Amino acid sequence: MTDTIIQTWNLTKQYDGKAGCREITLQVPRGVVFGFLGPNGAGKSTFVRTMMGLIHPTSGRAEMLGAPIGTIESRQSVGYLPELFRYPDWLTGTQLLESHAELCGLGRSERKKRCNDLIELVGLYGRGDEKIRGYSKGMQQRIGIACALVSDPQLVFFDEPTSALDPIGRKQVRELMRELRNQGKTVFLNSHLLSEVEDVCDHVAIIHKGEMVAQGEWRKLSAVKTQVEITVGSSPGGNPWADTSALVRESERLSATGERETWLITLADEDSIPDLVHLLSARGLSIYGVTQRQQRLEDVFFHYISQKEAWAHVDHRQNVV
Amino acid sequence: MWTIAKMSFREILSKRIFLITIFMTIAFLLLYGTATFYAAKEAGENGMQDVLEQSFFSTQLLGMGLYFSSFIVSLLAILSSVSSISSEIESHQIDTWLARPLSRSSFVMGKFIGQSMLMLVYAAVLFVGIILLNQWLGGTFLRVDVSMGQVVKALSVFLLQPLIIIIIGLLLSSLMSTINGGIVLIILYGIGFIGGFIEQLGAAMGKVALQNIGIVSSLLFPIDSLFRKMTVYLFDSADDPFSFAAQGIFGSLSTPSNMMLAYIAVYGLVALGLAMRNFSTRDV
Repeated sequence: MTDTIIQTWNLTKQYDGKAGCREITLQVPRGVVFGFLGPNGAGKSTFVRTMMGLIHPTSGRAEMLGAPIGTIESRQSVGYLPELFRYPDWLTGTQLLESHAELCGLGRSERKKRCNDLIELVGLYGRGDEKIRGYSKGMQQRIGIACALVSDPQLVFFDEPTSALDPIGRKQVRELMRELRNQGKTVFLNSHLLSEVEDVCDHVAIIHKGEMVAQGEWRKLSAVKTQVEITVGSSPGGNPWADTSALVRESERLSATGERETWLITLADEDSIPDLVHLLSARGLSIYGVTQRQQRLEDVFFHYISQKEAWAHVDHRQNVV
Repeated sequence: MWTIAKMSFREILSKRIFLITIFMTIAFLLLYGTATFYAAKEAGENGMQDVLEQSFFSTQLLGMGLYFSSFIVSLLAILSSVSSISSEIESHQIDTWLARPLSRSSFVMGKFIGQSMLMLVYAAVLFVGIILLNQWLGGTFLRVDVSMGQVVKALSVFLLQPLIIIIIGLLLSSLMSTINGGIVLIILYGIGFIGGFIEQLGAAMGKVALQNIGIVSSLLFPIDSLFRKMTVYLFDSADDPFSFAAQGIFGSLSTPSNMMLAYIAVYGLVALGLAMRNFSTRDV
């Protein structure tokens, strides 16, 4: 068993040469919640549908559970909640789950137990014998989540899994994803809700206009810039950051109270923090507090998106010239 | 595959159109039985004994019943098959099924088996119902003299009709949208239907061009050939030059050969293979 559950090499799916996703090279480690981020229309769902074998790649290749995508083996232990979830409305919730369980090869007794457990897990206890046509949108999404989990899969694709859920439902889904990770399962979370991804994901990939912008451990990716909030005594000369350009990239005064000022300082890297403290002490400035600011996913997301936009702009200019 | 077959079977059962069809079928059988009863009663009272006259009216009445049965079986087969894949693609219902460890070919085969099972049962009940009504209420004048062997042979050919329609319906459903597939299939059915009559008329008039038009239309969509072959087996009228006179428009003067049956078998298998291949290679 390898440590990578999904691997793609320049996977491309284009519609008449446009849209879709382009040259996505991705590795998803086993046992994590992997966030696949991007704005609307970035190509996230196209990528997932290609992985599920619903659409055929234009070029490139990919493997899931060690088997090439599009093969039965690659879908042997995979669950999928599509973004546009629609289920046969003439079935009851339980019948839907049993049909899927049967397709996954679960035995009759195991099937029954599993379906009952899942109905309860997704909060549809007592509603399983009702026809899906009578379900609300949120209930349909809940039964869709149960359906994705019916085979107790190693890998689950959730494509915008909370789009129809209320805040309580969203919280339950986040807890469910954490629980799945604790069980050693891999969750591939496709979402444009940054807060949702930030909350549960260990690894993220950012896709923009069909192309991969960044991927990796969320902790490492979030280190796009080192920022500290530092409270110092008022500098007699005005700006305490004069002549510190070797360390300080940007400075912004956040507040001033009496003799104290709080600044947001952007540094080159984490190693610069002790150097900065040392420098300020050497200059005789009183330091009342130094706190490293954690980057929010929104900041990281916009950082990479704007970086990509800037490169694209430069490429375009070079091509024009 | 069997799960998809079961789902497909249950899906048709769950549709309101199927319930309506069942009620309308019962109404049709009641009407047909009543008409047969009174026709036989009046014929008996009038004392018509002419053999040719008796043969003509009895086979006309039975042929009419079977032709209408064939029509409603075909209609139900068209309605159930032509949307079976395309509508699921359009609504994205198919996504979660295909995300399972299941090949696309198995999916098509499951759909075919599920729909065929139901349509075969329905077609058989209708066919046997018409025959029983004729035998029970036809009296001496309108009862067609048929053996069990003739009925079985005719039934087996009759049942091929919905199978061929379902296969072509699935092929179209794997290729195009429900509305487009429906239009194409109804036009194909119309070509086969009209072509069959043209062929019979051509045979009666001795016009080769008309017969050839009918043959070409049968090669394109061989539903009418199956109906004609069925009447040949049922009325035991193979190579009977008087059959057209005796059976009218529901008889078969230009008899489909056994070669045609072989062609239809190959036609069905190739179409089913194409449906699986198309569906396996397309995006959903």
